[in-house]
Amino acid sequence: MATPEQRVTERVEGAVQAPASSEPAPKLTFEAKNVSIWYGQKRAIDNVSLNILSKAVTAIIGPSGCGKSTFLRALNRMHELTPKTRMEGTVLLHGENLYSKTVDPAIVRRRVGMVFQKSNPFPTMTIGENVIVGLRLNGVRNQKFLNERLEKSLRMAALWDEVKDDLHKPGTSLSGGQQQRLCIARALAVEPEVILMDEPCSALDPIATAKIEELINELKAQYTIVTVTHNMQQAGRISDYTAFFYLGRLIEFGPTTAIFTNPTERQTEDYITGRFG
Amino acid sequence: MVTPKHILGTFDEALSALRNNVLMMAGLTERSLERAMKGLFTRDDNLCVTAIADDEEIDHLEMQIDKDGVAILLRFQPVASDLRRVVSAMKLSSNLERLGDQATNVARRARKLNQHPPLSEVDLIVPMRDKAMAMFKDSVDAYVREDVELARAIVPRDQALDELNRVVSRKLIQRMSQERDQLRGYLNLMFVARALERVGDHATNIAEDAVYAAAAEDIRHPSLTASV
Repeated sequence: MATPEQRVTERVEGAVQAPASSEPAPKLTFEAKNVSIWYGQKRAIDNVSLNILSKAVTAIIGPSGCGKSTFLRALNRMHELTPKTRMEGTVLLHGENLYSKTVDPAIVRRRVGMVFQKSNPFPTMTIGENVIVGLRLNGVRNQKFLNERLEKSLRMAALWDEVKDDLHKPGTSLSGGQQQRLCIARALAVEPEVILMDEPCSALDPIATAKIEELINELKAQYTIVTVTHNMQQAGRISDYTAFFYLGRLIEFGPTTAIFTNPTERQTEDYITGRFG
Repeated sequence: MVTPKHILGTFDEALSALRNNVLMMAGLTERSLERAMKGLFTRDDNLCVTAIADDEEIDHLEMQIDKDGVAILLRFQPVASDLRRVVSAMKLSSNLERLGDQATNVARRARKLNQHPPLSEVDLIVPMRDKAMAMFKDSVDAYVREDVELARAIVPRDQALDELNRVVSRKLIQRMSQERDQLRGYLNLMFVARALERVGDHATNIAEDAVYAAAAEDIRHPSLTASV
């Protein structure tokens, strides 16, 4: 009888194996190995190993406090901004250890962009300034380049047509859904390799949610996306792979269709079917 | 292991009501088939008429199950085993409705046969009835008990029933050429045999749905499984 850890490992390895010998193995963006994270004495993540496939959407689901946001933040070292945080294990981004002493966390966060639950455009900046602020902070001064990147990012975030005549207006003048897409455009402007999303639609109405979901579907052609969501139906709609976390541990990981039709683990089944206490 | 209840009690109630209607429909279908068969073998027109009348209630339940299933999909967006249960309940009801139609077919043919002197060839139908009814009962049992092994074992039994139907048909055709006066009666018996063969097909479908509901495995068309 396999242990839960062995089953998870088998599932993870099964999920990233090429379906046929003639096809190349899917590329991995992240390889998290034996990751544990503590906030003070509290262990938030417990020995999680998880591979994230490139140019696919991976959803992380689980009840509140299960460590899904902490794990997401560990993928761009953002959890380190919380005091008294300690981590063990390794996270490789395209084979490179993100936690190597020679790696600058600021560079990591540029390579791995983040979109948060609540849209957070800079309140003193215009729509246009919000998009290119990351580039400016990185020392880009070429206005032609900035203008091109501004339009490209807003187009990719499916916001250009709605704001092209209002670029000088405050970012906060937009609706909630538009503000969230503005934040996605801001993340895209620095041309990251990955976009992390922490419940990006939880504060949005169904129309704005649908637009973000459609955007995620379009962006995965070029980006690896990892999203945390409490919305089971959304995970089912937008993700290719789903990881279920519980009490800081990875319980199950696999193709979303498999997880939502026939999960291997009883805890996953109980959680996604609404039987979890 | 006992399945824990959903946090949302109304979800449990809706799933339970759906399942109860499927079980009731299966019970009515079984009763209707048995009445039709008994009506044939005992030459009892009243039983045949009752079997035909039963079909209305079965049809009504089919519509109710479809309506309830769609409402559950809409309201609760079930996943995993819940989703499989709803999908299989709706597919089961469709097969049960067709089984009810076969009961009606048998009962109508029996009434026609009852208008003429008895044919000894009706005995040819007995082994087909035994096999078909046993398959039907086992398929419903497999669904109710989520017994995957019992369900799997039903599929090869359908091949035996099909073969039996071919044998019975050959014998009846032979009798037709020998006893031309009884041609209509033999033809009605052939239709009864055909109805029982269809009972086996629907029982097989139910068994396949039972495997899907319990184990998330699609055992239909095994030659296609690898390519799907």
